[in-house]
Amino acid sequence: MSGKGIRSTGTALAVLGLVGMLLVYSLSFFWVATDRLQGVSQRIFYIHVPAAWTCFLAFGIAALTSGMYLWLRDERLDRAAVCAAEGGMIFGAIMLTTGPLWGAIAWNTYWNWEPRLVLTLLLWFIFLGYFMVRTSTEDPEKGKRFAAVVAIVGALLIPLIHLSVTWFRDVPQFLHPQPVVVKPEGPTLDGDMLTVLLTSLGVFTTLFFGLFLLRYALETLRAEVQARAREATA
Amino acid sequence: MKAMKKLRIVALPLLVLLFAATDLGAQLPGNQMATQSLRAYWHVFIAYAVAIVMVLGWVVSIARRLARVEAQLGE
Repeated sequence: MSGKGIRSTGTALAVLGLVGMLLVYSLSFFWVATDRLQGVSQRIFYIHVPAAWTCFLAFGIAALTSGMYLWLRDERLDRAAVCAAEGGMIFGAIMLTTGPLWGAIAWNTYWNWEPRLVLTLLLWFIFLGYFMVRTSTEDPEKGKRFAAVVAIVGALLIPLIHLSVTWFRDVPQFLHPQPVVVKPEGPTLDGDMLTVLLTSLGVFTTLFFGLFLLRYALETLRAEVQARAREATA
Repeated sequence: MKAMKKLRIVALPLLVLLFAATDLGAQLPGNQMATQSLRAYWHVFIAYAVAIVMVLGWVVSIARRLARVEAQLGE
């Protein structure tokens, strides 16, 4: 895909995602019923879970492209990794903010040192380190390689975070509920709630890919500016 | 000056809303459930606001950086 093609596709997906967000907000505020047990605070679920999914998807893409960069040494893969990691940080911040806001009502505490929360926070900080490592070396190529390793190590936490709900359910302070959608016997979530959740998952994913492509276009232009600067000095 | 005016436009309705919410809470003495429910509404409002602000923040940040790099390329 050409630079212009990437940009126009990114813009189209981002606009679609932003319009979709309005739809998700409308559905979760005016259409779906209030949860009988948790009350209105359960509505945070419709942004918290999609933000978490998008965060893990973005960090997963960052790790995958980082691994491929280490193997193929193609600059485009490193650019894709940094763009995905930035998206992961944004959606991770949404997840880490909305979760405690929900927990304050549902669990009566903003934060609990349970494995899933600790590992998720650790993942976010590892990717914060990813950006620090990139700029910490005098040789940019070395910084990119080090950062790629950090991304791969960080992403190893993702399956652990996912499985922590079942692995650590006997830990006394574990408060996260068991899965209600991805279950062998099928989702146990109410139909309308599932519709809003799946819509929100689609919208967040579309938004992420739209902004990821725009961010990638930016990174490509930056590389062009740097190449021109090198040519001028040569 | 313009920024202050914009800030006032946003801040004033929020303050009014906050006082109204506090006042509503005060009208329910001893009703723990009602206060709890009001607090839940605030949390939902903040959570949804955080999500949209962060996403829009990223959009604006990308747009500004793109404009800057394009200007550099144009030079």
